[in-house]
Amino acid sequence: MRRHRLVSILFVAPCVFAFAMNILIPFGFGLYYSMTDWNGVNPDINFVGFDNFAGLFSSPDFIYSFLITVAYTAINIVLVNAVSFGLSLIVTGRIRGRNFLRAGFFIPYLIGGIVLGYIWQFIFNNALVAVGKSLSIAALQTSFLSRPGSVIWIMAVVNTWQYAGYIMLIYVAAIQGIPASLMEAAEVDGANYPTRIFKILMPMMANAFTISLFLTLTTSFKQFDMNLTLTNGGPATRFMDTPIKASQLLAMNIFSTATANRMAEAQAKAVVLFVALVVVALLQVAANKKKEVEL
Amino acid sequence: MRRPFVRIVSIVAAIVCIVAVASCSKAEPKQAKGVEINMFQLKVEIKDAIDGYAAAYSAAHPGVTVKVETLGGGGDYGGALKAKSQAGQMPDIFVIEGLGGYNIWKDYIADLSGEPWVKDTDLAMKVDGKIVGFPVAIEGYGLAYNADILAKAGIDPAALTTRAAYEKALAKLDSMKKELGITAPVSMAASVAGGMWWVAAQHNLACYWGGGLAFDDTSVIDKALKGELDEARFTQYAKYLQLLFKYADQNILLNGSYDDQVGAFAQGKTAFLHQGNWVDPNLKQLGVTFTIGYAPHAFLDTEQKGLYLFAPSWYCVNSKSPNADAAKAFLTAMATTPEGHDYMVNKAGMIPAFKSVTLKPAGQLSQALMAANAKGGNYGVFFGMLPDGAGQNVFGPIFDLFAQNQKDLPRFISDMKKAVADLPKM
Repeated sequence: MRRHRLVSILFVAPCVFAFAMNILIPFGFGLYYSMTDWNGVNPDINFVGFDNFAGLFSSPDFIYSFLITVAYTAINIVLVNAVSFGLSLIVTGRIRGRNFLRAGFFIPYLIGGIVLGYIWQFIFNNALVAVGKSLSIAALQTSFLSRPGSVIWIMAVVNTWQYAGYIMLIYVAAIQGIPASLMEAAEVDGANYPTRIFKILMPMMANAFTISLFLTLTTSFKQFDMNLTLTNGGPATRFMDTPIKASQLLAMNIFSTATANRMAEAQAKAVVLFVALVVVALLQVAANKKKEVEL
Repeated sequence: MRRPFVRIVSIVAAIVCIVAVASCSKAEPKQAKGVEINMFQLKVEIKDAIDGYAAAYSAAHPGVTVKVETLGGGGDYGGALKAKSQAGQMPDIFVIEGLGGYNIWKDYIADLSGEPWVKDTDLAMKVDGKIVGFPVAIEGYGLAYNADILAKAGIDPAALTTRAAYEKALAKLDSMKKELGITAPVSMAASVAGGMWWVAAQHNLACYWGGGLAFDDTSVIDKALKGELDEARFTQYAKYLQLLFKYADQNILLNGSYDDQVGAFAQGKTAFLHQGNWVDPNLKQLGVTFTIGYAPHAFLDTEQKGLYLFAPSWYCVNSKSPNADAAKAFLTAMATTPEGHDYMVNKAGMIPAFKSVTLKPAGQLSQALMAANAKGGNYGVFFGMLPDGAGQNVFGPIFDLFAQNQKDLPRFISDMKKAVADLPKM
């Protein structure tokens, strides 16, 4: 038995080692640096306790970033899951070219967020504006990305375009896992299509909803690449009587704090993001788990 | 049979892991003979030129090898340098872009006061009376104009020395848009979204910090760093900015990228361009044939004729490196030898900050700047003295918001007053 144990330990060792080096140790350092005045270079680091955190909740740009990140996440969860659930119903139905459609809907996910941001920026800033000018449609003549009130909706739309295909695959797998006999029995009993969807299909694939909601929630909360290239945080808007960036999500706020050589402050913001994300994700998973049914 | 095999594999795997990590932290063995100077710089456009110069210098100086590493594509130079210093691979020559950089790296920055090139330049980086940085080049700006369009509209660029003169000229251009074939008089950008905050909130704002003052007069920005905004002066500046915004192509102003902004001017769609001499290569690439010159940013009620000149970055020598003296000699050669001058002007296309250089750069805007530098009466650019992030994160949104609500001048002034009052806390 002891030899087995040694072998197990050795087998696990590389993974544990990599996990510790890449996740655990940096995480510990991160927590530590968030309570110091480190600027990224200076070798004498002073411990300042919770000073970095205290300042955060009175700075308008951080509060705003936090709030719109929550709003963006909420919009995104609804939009992505509604669209991808709809798509999954279409591609599991009796239509022609199902496989082609599945591949087509999935392809945007394979385009990197950076590239995708630039593509959509061009569409919103140049293509749509040009269309608006040539057809004299006033609504299109100013770019959608320069409207502070609606810019996070635009970001959610772009994100949905990218992410819905991926979530769709999860739903497709779940739908295919439901025994056909259940749906047929319901149909014979006279349940119409919406009833079959809401009463049979959706409860039966509750575990797919758990994972999909979790994925959309965490990725929206951490959204960065598309944010950087599509809007770069712009345009400006006014919040708490201070001009700030209307579409700067939390991750980007952390990034611009760090690139301004405020490493410790950025680290404190990252810790806040982490805590918020853990709390929200745990609540979501706990709530969803209750709805799951075992076959 | 199988179990020992498994064990061996796992042991080997563990050893490989440990060795891999251990070898990362070990410093590379030093070369036995000769000095190797490592330089780390961020101007991608001069990469080939500086690589060539470094190779020529190494060939001419036996025992010295200069290796230049260039960070490409607008990467995060500060971050990369931090990574290098953490890894114990701090280069012998590195770049800082202002006082913010100096404060971060001051433990590594050597005193260059005794170097022979110091007397030959006004733009060396000076901190507490010590020379700490070698000026990489002169860059600068005014309001670039398309001489052909101005001539057609009957406007003399030499007369554009007050805000009132600009107001008249811009109104005239605006009324003649159809005849001149332009979409707007000015190509200006101010958007956070397009990544162009720096045109308005850094370069244009620099007019307020330094315009109309002596070249090294930092009194206005010194006051601002203590939290005070000179309201009378700032109001004049804000009115000038309002004028530029009003007559700018609005789509470029609010969303445009660098390419949009420079492209519009290069295609003759605007009469003015708010950019520095670094657009020379872009204009050449876009096939510009018209004559271009610089008019001053004249925002005051009184006359202003100077352009804004600055060194965008400085080379610093790593004081902790054993090769510091060799690195200093390399910089001195760049500033004082004909080969060094040839590299800076003809190969790299820069305007050297050294007065003894007689070669002329190729670009029209660079030539205009060099002429202005020789004539004197120019203004300093001091945004480098601001705390890190002040331009991008604080002033950027304020200017973007003013571009969106151009009529609300009092709001813009009060926003700036508040932001400047918070500067000492940053």
